[in-house]
Amino acid sequence: MVFSGIPFLFFFLPLCLAAYFAAPFRFKNGVLLLFSLIFYAWGEPVYILLMLFVSFSDYIIGRLMDAFGSETSKRRAFLILSILIDLSVLCFFKYADFAADSLNSLLKLLLPASGISVRGPGVALPIGISFFTFQSMSYIFDLYKKDVEAEKNYLDYITYISMFPQLIAGPIVRYITVHNELHERNISSEDISEGAERLALGLFKKVLIANRAGLLFDTVQAYAAAGTLAPGVPLSAASAWLGAISFTLQLYFDFSAYSDMAIGIGRILGFHFNENFNYPLSAVSITDFWRRWHISLSSWFRDYVYIPLGGNRKGAVKQLRNMFIVWFLTGLWHGASWNFVFWGLWHFSFLVIEKYFLGRFIEKLPGILQHAYALFVIVTGFVIFAITDMGELSYFFAAMFMNGALIGSDFMWLFRNFGVVFMLAFVLAFPVYPLLKAAFSAGNGSRAFRAFETIIFIVLFIFTVSYLVADTYNPFLYFRF
Amino acid sequence: MDSKNRKFNIGRISGACILAVFIIVLDILFVAFPKKTFSENENRYLQAFPVPSAESIVSGKWMDDINSYLCDHFPFRDSFMTIRTGVEKAEGRSEINGIYICSDGYFIEPYDEPKNTEKTIRIFKSFYESLPENINTELMLVPTAIWTLKDKLPAAAPYRDQQSDAMDIINGTGIPAVDCFAALSEAYENADAASSGAQTELYYKTDHHWTTYGAYIGYKAYCEKSGIDAVPLEKWNSTAVSTDFHGTIYSKLNDYTVPGDTIEAYSLGSDDISVVYEDTHEESDSLYNPEYLGQKDKYSYFLDNLHSLITVTNENAGTDRSLVLIKDSYANCMVPFLSHHFKHIYVFDTRSYKLGPSAFIAEHPEVTDVLILYNMNMIDTDLGIGGIY
Repeated sequence: MVFSGIPFLFFFLPLCLAAYFAAPFRFKNGVLLLFSLIFYAWGEPVYILLMLFVSFSDYIIGRLMDAFGSETSKRRAFLILSILIDLSVLCFFKYADFAADSLNSLLKLLLPASGISVRGPGVALPIGISFFTFQSMSYIFDLYKKDVEAEKNYLDYITYISMFPQLIAGPIVRYITVHNELHERNISSEDISEGAERLALGLFKKVLIANRAGLLFDTVQAYAAAGTLAPGVPLSAASAWLGAISFTLQLYFDFSAYSDMAIGIGRILGFHFNENFNYPLSAVSITDFWRRWHISLSSWFRDYVYIPLGGNRKGAVKQLRNMFIVWFLTGLWHGASWNFVFWGLWHFSFLVIEKYFLGRFIEKLPGILQHAYALFVIVTGFVIFAITDMGELSYFFAAMFMNGALIGSDFMWLFRNFGVVFMLAFVLAFPVYPLLKAAFSAGNGSRAFRAFETIIFIVLFIFTVSYLVADTYNPFLYFRF
Repeated sequence: MDSKNRKFNIGRISGACILAVFIIVLDILFVAFPKKTFSENENRYLQAFPVPSAESIVSGKWMDDINSYLCDHFPFRDSFMTIRTGVEKAEGRSEINGIYICSDGYFIEPYDEPKNTEKTIRIFKSFYESLPENINTELMLVPTAIWTLKDKLPAAAPYRDQQSDAMDIINGTGIPAVDCFAALSEAYENADAASSGAQTELYYKTDHHWTTYGAYIGYKAYCEKSGIDAVPLEKWNSTAVSTDFHGTIYSKLNDYTVPGDTIEAYSLGSDDISVVYEDTHEESDSLYNPEYLGQKDKYSYFLDNLHSLITVTNENAGTDRSLVLIKDSYANCMVPFLSHHFKHIYVFDTRSYKLGPSAFIAEHPEVTDVLILYNMNMIDTDLGIGGIY
């Protein structure tokens, strides 16, 4: 089930919240678990078993690790066992087909005559597998480091793993962040109010901005795939850039909207998740970008991969190696395809450049140039991220960097139809909303601003519902049968 | 302390929580409103409440159907659609929900690169080659509004030429062709000169079909090509049977401010028509079904919407020629013109006729003419074309 849909907003969520608030505290986790399982089963009825398996194995391993409190070697063995199980699940369901394809390509290249090839398992990707395995691993890591106590109650642990707000698209909530609230939480009216506001903002971002910026990118990509807007009109550089930036905007708004909704629903339920995005497109460098983009993932890799590997404490060569590993994996985590790896390594290269060569120089540039530099790297990087087909990717890059006209009728058409959405998205990708809110809600303007905000919320909500309803609105010409 | 707290809370809560009221009200209306089974506006059946089964739950189909059910019966669905169109209009968009907003109040469907040209050519070619030599066969490909009215399109709109795609099919099949493109563009250019007082629009503004006048132009071109003396326009009596036609393109936008189209019917008065709908075994003495004029789907007034095989007989035709017409819905408003010249017209709609018309022709030696008539969108998207041969 997705948040941005009529079934979730109008049926699942109200029912879930009604049951949740009606239940006495000791049953609240049970209610949450039940609804979370329905939520997951809605799209993946069978893979629910996989999620139960992962959480059960880590729960047992956690208990065992706890039982051998002082014996480091045994704890270590259980840690390794847990990592093996979780990564096997992740690799089998997410990466096996990709690995088989890559191996086959390599065999074809090296031994073209042999005809040897391997076959992948051909399984569909279970929704949210990258998120729930990483969540479960965070528990075992923190437990091994003795940063957190073992969870004694399996129902509470599976409630944590399966919790529907962040189950299928993050943020990656660590056990250590919520373990207190899992057992004891107060839900204040402020939590409910601010949670609802966050949820609504996320919904608006997703439906009114991300989906429509996505439509712009889809349109440009279709032109790119066809090589043309209409017979005889090649894709112009302006359109290619418009498409590239619109994909960046789509991805940011889509992903951060999901985190907003997760954080908002979490708060309504009484959980406080960490922030996942902090206006990443307003970064002044790539180093800065990674402090602001998908924070729960980058900090996961920092704490559970980079630092255990020695981080920056073992000399420049090892640091470089560790950075390479982290950004290779960060890329790969986003999907089983080489373009995601290339995207990770693209960022790795700029991080290295900033760290060892040009960082000081970039810092001294005027602010606008720093933003321009960062945006250039981010947007070009996301083109690698967006287009999995290498031929199409090189065509797109060629179009961006002028193999055709600078500007053409294709751009006029796109801008006429998407200009408003594009500019709105671009402006809102910078911290404009919090600035406005801070400026108007201080002092005397507070009441008026609140009333104004309420009206805006209602109007935007009506627009949002219109889009959600219209998405299923498919006039058929004749087929009544 | 308590009351102070409460005051603070009410102030805090007013912002987003008011949306909860919205949700609950719409939910109550969802439960309270009677569920429609058919959407006139979209011309399709809505999802009925799905009965769960172990199989449909494991496969996820039941959940998908529930999703459709909840969306299909959502309160004020059509009005929400109108709001969405309003938002996009306010943004200044010239394409909304896949429809070009054109000048003079026209709404025009885009035309995409055809995907099935080779298949279409193969099927028509085999069909044509299977026909007896003495049958006069014509292929008539009708451009849709985007080609004929291309000067009305919004600036810089993506545009693909239908004529060259039509030429590919005509040349590929080798069937003698009626040049409907030339006829319609000539009629469009001379539209102002035509002064009969009747309709001069070739296409509906809110529907994807051509008008009865557009069909007359097609009829005239066909007659010229196959040696029939077309009855001049001024001899036909035209009647406006509806002035409030909101067609299929309108339904994609649901913009209440758009005025309706006028539907005209042309007649001569001297014909003695009888119609047999072979699939339902209904008989009629008219090529029209006025019941549809009271509904949303008014174009179905012509030839009673969709039938796999219709036999039209005109005892006063004055010839013994019989025509097999293989067509899509564009032909429905052209049949009244053709019926004047043929004793029998066998009208095949390939979207629902399962048996190939070539077998029918072999069994009916009285057939002297075959006309294949499709518009340029339908010829590529009609999956039933495979049934022709």
